[in-house]
Amino acid sequence: MHYLLMFRSLTYAQRGARLLERSGITGTITRMPRSAATKGCAYGVLVSPTQYERAAAVLASGGSAPERVYIRNADGSLEGPVHDMA
Amino acid sequence: MIWLDSAATSFQKPPSVRFAVWKAMTMLSSPGRGGYASAMAAADVLFRCRCALGEMFGVSEPERVVFTSSATHGLNIAIKSLVRPGDRVVISGYEHNAVTRPLRAVGADVRIAASPLFDRDAAVEAFRQELPGAAAAVCCHVSNVFGYVLPVEEIAELCRRKGVPLIVDASQSAGVLPLDAERLGCAFAAMPGHKGLLGPQGTGVLLCGVEQVQTLIEGGTGSESDSDEMPALLPDRLEAGTHNVPGIAGLLAGADWIRERGVECIREHETALKNRLTGLLRGIRNITVFETEEDIQTGVVSLRLGGIDCETAAERLGERGIAVRAGLHCAPLAHRTAGTLETGTIRISMSPFSTERDVSRAAEEILRLVP
Repeated sequence: MHYLLMFRSLTYAQRGARLLERSGITGTITRMPRSAATKGCAYGVLVSPTQYERAAAVLASGGSAPERVYIRNADGSLEGPVHDMA
Repeated sequence: MIWLDSAATSFQKPPSVRFAVWKAMTMLSSPGRGGYASAMAAADVLFRCRCALGEMFGVSEPERVVFTSSATHGLNIAIKSLVRPGDRVVISGYEHNAVTRPLRAVGADVRIAASPLFDRDAAVEAFRQELPGAAAAVCCHVSNVFGYVLPVEEIAELCRRKGVPLIVDASQSAGVLPLDAERLGCAFAAMPGHKGLLGPQGTGVLLCGVEQVQTLIEGGTGSESDSDEMPALLPDRLEAGTHNVPGIAGLLAGADWIRERGVECIREHETALKNRLTGLLRGIRNITVFETEEDIQTGVVSLRLGGIDCETAAERLGERGIAVRAGLHCAPLAHRTAGTLETGTIRISMSPFSTERDVSRAAEEILRLVP
C-alpha cells in the first residue's frame, strides 16, 4: 500500500513532489481515481508508508500541504480520506 | 543574412532550443490530460520551465509563472484583470501598442507620464505627478524603439507607496537585464518567450503577483473538470486549452542557455556591439543616432537618416543582406514622445549571436545610403 496525497492541481502536485525530492523522499505523481477526484480530474503524489510522516511534515512546512490523503492498496482500491484539509 | 532585428524576434536560437522542440514533438503529448508517460513527461517539462523562469525572475511559487502565447497575450490578461471602464491608468511615454490598445479597448482614462528620452529622473517625476487616483500603472522595462532602460525600480517603489498595482512590460528586458518581480512587488510582469529568452515564436510568460485574475478565454484545464467555471487556481485559471508543449520545451532550453551564460554577460556583449555601431555612425552628416553615454541603453538603437525614408533605407539594407526594422515599431507613443513620429526610425538590435563583423558591415552599408 501507499499513501496518496491529493493536490488541488497538477502544478501543486508537482510542487509537492519537488519539495519531497529535495528532502530525499520519493513521490510519484499520478492521476487521482475518479471516486476521489470530487471536482473532476485531479492529481496526487504517491508516498510509501515508511516515508509518509516525514513527507507530510516536509509538505506542511513548505506551504504545500495536500488537500486530502488516502490510502491506496496494492489492488488499486482506495481507503479514506484519512486526512482532509479541504 | 545579418540579423539585427532581435528586438522583434531572436531569429538565431541556440541549437539546444531546436533540439528541445524536436524532442518535444517526438516524445511529448499533452500535460494534465493523462497519466501515461508522454503526458507526465510533458507536464515535467512545463513544471521545470516554470521553476527555471521563476528563479530567473524572482517568483518563488511556480504556479505564478503562467504560459501565454506572447507578451501581448499576457499584457491583455494583466490589463483586463486590473482595469475597468473609466479607470485612470498611468503609462510611460514609451509603451507599445500591446499596452495602449487593450487600454483603449477597456475604455480606460489613460494618463501618459511623458518624459524626455533617456531622462530617468524626469520619468520618475512624471509618474509621481500622475499616480494619485490611478487604478493601475503600466511601464515597459526597456523601450522597444530606443533600448532606453526605464527606472522601473523607482516607479515600482512609487506605485507600492501609493498602493497602485503596477504592470511591467518586460518584452525587451527578459533575458537581457535582471528582473526580480517579487522585489519589485509588481502585480504582473509580461514577457515574450521568443525574444531575449531565445525560445520559439508563440511562447510568452505572465508572472502573476496577484491572485485575482481575469480569464481571456475559458476551456479545459485538466483540473476541476466537474465544474463549468474556470478553476480559481493559478496557473490553470489562465491556461485553458492544450499547451504549446514544443514551444515551452524550446523556451526552457533558451532559458537554460541564458542562465548558463548569465544575463550580465549577454547585456555586456550586446551593449558593446551597440557602442561599436554608434561609434561608427556618430557625428556623420545626415545621421541622427538616438543614444546615451549613460549605462541606460541596451543593445537596441534607433537611427534617422536625412534624405532617405526609413522604410526605403531598411529595404535597401535588406537587399544587401542586413535585417533591421523601420517605421514606428508598433510603438507610436514612444515615437511621439521622442519626436520621431513623423519620420519613424531605423532600429538596429543585437542578440547574443550578433558579432562585431555584423555591426561593422551594417555601419558600412548605412554609410553608403546617406547622401
